[in-house]
Amino acid sequence: MNLFFREIKAARRSLILWSIGICFMVVSGMAKYEGLSGTGQSLQQMISEMPKSLQAIMGTGTLDLSTAVGFYAILFTYLQLMAAIHAMMLGANIIAKEERDQTAEFLMAKPISRSQIITAKLSAALANVVIFNLVTLILSITMVSKFSKDGESLTDIYLLMAGMFMLQLIFLAAGSSIAAAGNKPKRAASVGTGILLISYILSLAIDLNENIKLLQYITPFKYFEAKRVVAGGVLDPVFVGLSAIIIIILITLTYVSFRKRDLSV
Amino acid sequence: MNVIELKNLTKTYGKARGITNISFNVEEGEIFGFIGPNGAGKSTTIRTMLSLIYPTSGSAMIFGKDSVKYGPEIKKEIGYLPSEVFYYDNMKVKELLKYSASFYKKDCSKRITQLAEMLDLDLNKRIDDLSFGNKKKVGIVQGLLHEPKLIILDEPTSGLDPLMQQKFFELLKEENKKGTTILFSSHILSEVQKLCDRVAIIKEGELVNVEKISTLKENNHKRFKLESQTQVPHDYFKIKGVQNLEVNNHITSFLYSGNINMILQKLAQLELYNLWIEEPDLEEIFMHYYEKEN
Repeated sequence: MNLFFREIKAARRSLILWSIGICFMVVSGMAKYEGLSGTGQSLQQMISEMPKSLQAIMGTGTLDLSTAVGFYAILFTYLQLMAAIHAMMLGANIIAKEERDQTAEFLMAKPISRSQIITAKLSAALANVVIFNLVTLILSITMVSKFSKDGESLTDIYLLMAGMFMLQLIFLAAGSSIAAAGNKPKRAASVGTGILLISYILSLAIDLNENIKLLQYITPFKYFEAKRVVAGGVLDPVFVGLSAIIIIILITLTYVSFRKRDLSV
Repeated sequence: MNVIELKNLTKTYGKARGITNISFNVEEGEIFGFIGPNGAGKSTTIRTMLSLIYPTSGSAMIFGKDSVKYGPEIKKEIGYLPSEVFYYDNMKVKELLKYSASFYKKDCSKRITQLAEMLDLDLNKRIDDLSFGNKKKVGIVQGLLHEPKLIILDEPTSGLDPLMQQKFFELLKEENKKGTTILFSSHILSEVQKLCDRVAIIKEGELVNVEKISTLKENNHKRFKLESQTQVPHDYFKIKGVQNLEVNNHITSFLYSGNINMILQKLAQLELYNLWIEEPDLEEIFMHYYEKEN
């Protein structure tokens, strides 16, 4: 437990900064809605007349921008990207930092097994990710309900957050497995972020080109994208299952490879 | 009882040199020196014992248990001071030591205060702000605070001033009296001589010899270098115990082992500008070893 609390404490400041970042995104994003909502239908029309590539990049698609929830869903794409980057970097750094900062010799001389180290670190990272998600949820609900018309359901927001949580877990596990398997601790976070950006760009490319739709299974950003969730009203069980499998594989990989390899000191 | 038992311990990294077939035992209550030049494989051996890295072949047993299989269990009774100390920079000394103590299921706060006082270490400073020597002290306290049965020290004296070294050695002797076994790695022969009962000598990843310090002391070599007014005749130092004699104009150098008064008398008869008497470096000692073996 001492390692868990140590990690919580170490991540505290970064978590606060990220929370301020989300707060800024949600508040300023929804403030724009207030400005645009006056124009009503014309906004929706304007966007639908834009080239498809531009719509794809903005992530609009089938969303109804005249409602607060619909507008929020666009904002959500960026929140999701932020959450993914946070989770990826957290996962990679929490494992890699002992070797990167050369404290591995200190830690490994203590009566603690490598599996226990991973368990404590992943638990601390999980707690951070949960807090990140809850902060986003609370801010989102508060801001959207401020602008939503009567009778507009906020269920979609809960659903979107559940989707975002799955995405966070995938990238957390991806980050930790990259750090655990690789022997270049300084590069773990940058390799992870690189992979993340590639999969994000891929998700945009799929929106632009119907022919590569099958690739949606390899980029987690497509799994719970806003337009799919809002249109379907549920999280697609196929993607929930797929996410669960990916998370389990990556976490197992984290444990196995960290236990097996020589630590770089 | 053997506290450490290394059996043909081998670790090879890709191309870099590792260690080959290292075998030696350290008995309970011993202060055991582990000596060799930089890069000989001392740290590799120690890191393998602590399962930071895993052996390619062979095994390390500590307290009679395999160091890989029972790692966490045996580490309860090990205190380790790495050669280069790196700690969580944003922590205060006190926080780090408390964190370190939290891994052991005993109250170490008294011991921390006691050790810090002895080594003159300020507990309220940030680790970031400490000098190299003070960081080393944090390492010492960190390694001793849980009163381990085995203390492993990797080049512990670098960065400590002579006075602090003295205190540190006294501390180790005290621990040893209580029955603690100590493995002391170093590349400086004289400090190993001061403290240890036996030494293992390692070179280029292989064990050269395991010797009693008393045997080593018999071969107590000194390196002499002198600058004289006139060139010293070649046969002037032809006395017992002089080796590797080199005369280069006014500079003469040689290795000497034996009665120190004999050589001083010889030196007193020369008109000297300058004189250096030094510990020979390990390479020279090893050369001596190889000569003896052949």
